[in-house]
Amino acid sequence: MNATTARVLYIDDEENNLHAFKAGFRRQYEIYTANSAAEGLKILENISVHVIIADQKMPQTTGVEFFRSIVHTYPDPVRILLTGYTDIEALADAINHGDIYRYITKPWNDLELHNSIKNAYDAYKTKIDLRNKIAELEKTNDELNRFIYSISHELRAPLVSAMGIVNLVKMEGLFESSGEYWSLIETCSNKLDYYVQKTLQYYKNSKEISAHTSIDFKELVPSLIDLYSFTDKETYFHTDIKQDIPFYGDAFRIEVILGNLISNAIKYQKEDSINKKVDIEIQVRPTEAEITITDNGMGILNEHLEKIFTQFFKIKTNQGSGLGLFIVKEALNKIDGKISVKSNSLEGTTFKITIPNVK
Amino acid sequence: MSNNRRKVLLVDDNAIDLKVNSKVIHLSGLFEEIVLCQSAEEGLSYLSKNIDQIDELPDFILLDIQMPDMDGFDFLEVYKKFPKKLKEKCVIAILSSTLDFGDIKKTEANPDVIKLLKKPLILNELEELLKKYFII
Repeated sequence: MNATTARVLYIDDEENNLHAFKAGFRRQYEIYTANSAAEGLKILENISVHVIIADQKMPQTTGVEFFRSIVHTYPDPVRILLTGYTDIEALADAINHGDIYRYITKPWNDLELHNSIKNAYDAYKTKIDLRNKIAELEKTNDELNRFIYSISHELRAPLVSAMGIVNLVKMEGLFESSGEYWSLIETCSNKLDYYVQKTLQYYKNSKEISAHTSIDFKELVPSLIDLYSFTDKETYFHTDIKQDIPFYGDAFRIEVILGNLISNAIKYQKEDSINKKVDIEIQVRPTEAEITITDNGMGILNEHLEKIFTQFFKIKTNQGSGLGLFIVKEALNKIDGKISVKSNSLEGTTFKITIPNVK
Repeated sequence: MSNNRRKVLLVDDNAIDLKVNSKVIHLSGLFEEIVLCQSAEEGLSYLSKNIDQIDELPDFILLDIQMPDMDGFDFLEVYKKFPKKLKEKCVIAILSSTLDFGDIKKTEANPDVIKLLKKPLILNELEELLKKYFII
């Protein structure tokens, strides 16, 4: 008998049946028999059985009662009920409470019973395989999360140190001391930092489970504007936020969405414009928040409009990463939000977003 | 403040950041004295050693989160139990490169921390923050 032989426990108060079963199946399976539910339980305690067959009509405990009693203690073995008569009530009970895989009428037909045991054993293996796969996936998932966490620190920390040094160089008035070299280092560092941050945002968006908190747009929007206009003070922001009622949503993803759109509105201005403007309107309703972000920047070419939400799409004339709007779209998908865009090169671009209010 | 010698304690395991940040603070003239600690343990032992000399205690602590052995949060756990006279004199800001939402939330929830500053340390941000707590 090899390791993959099914271990079958058969419980029946009629010794003749036990013998007949053994005689019929001992070549195919590793068979254990018991003449009562109590005896069957003793075997279960010592041997990890794959398939249990129990007779319904037994003096102390019926087959269904037995199956019901081991639902929580021995959930794994697959159960087959044998009945000599068609008792609908017992069957209903068996299906509803005993987690029965199959029921077979007595006297059994060897081929039918054999097939049932074979199928039951397959079902057992599938169940265990699935459980192992889930455990494996959970472990991988957990490792990936830890990897992301460590990337966010280990990869970024030295980069941020370098940015600190550039900052110090500026404070000491040495920034121009080596021609444009310092400014080139600064550009590279900022770009790398941007990629690391976007990558993290993307992974966090795909992993993290939505957590709903109360969001005050009147607080959130100005703080995001502050954050992203830090390097560019030329763009003028006008906000009109109408929020008289509470809004509940996924704070992390909403920050990611608005942050990316605000940062884009700043980044894709017309370079020599003296009147760089971004207008943010928000209307909070009981069912949703409607957000409009309009800029008078360089606009998006018609033929590009369809592609802007795809990963790594970027235009030649600007140093984007091709990740920002892709992440916006991914984050909106996670929270059932919608986005539409209108743009032309004369007036600029308008993004309109709706995010459901989940309270 | 009992005297005008304002003191800041920098706690960071990263020697480069420690050097750069102390230089930034030195150039800013915001503090007269800068104490550098390369670990949370070192920072805590500085505090306990000087706990009876109020003049020696810092007015401000800039604390990193990610450090080996004891991290910034462990530091704050111990700090919580320090006597009131230290906490009345001293405020703590976290200075970290973290982007982790959990870290940010945990920091915001800590009553002993006034703000999470992001690395690199930018002088304007530090000044804005300290304006609320000291006369600069």
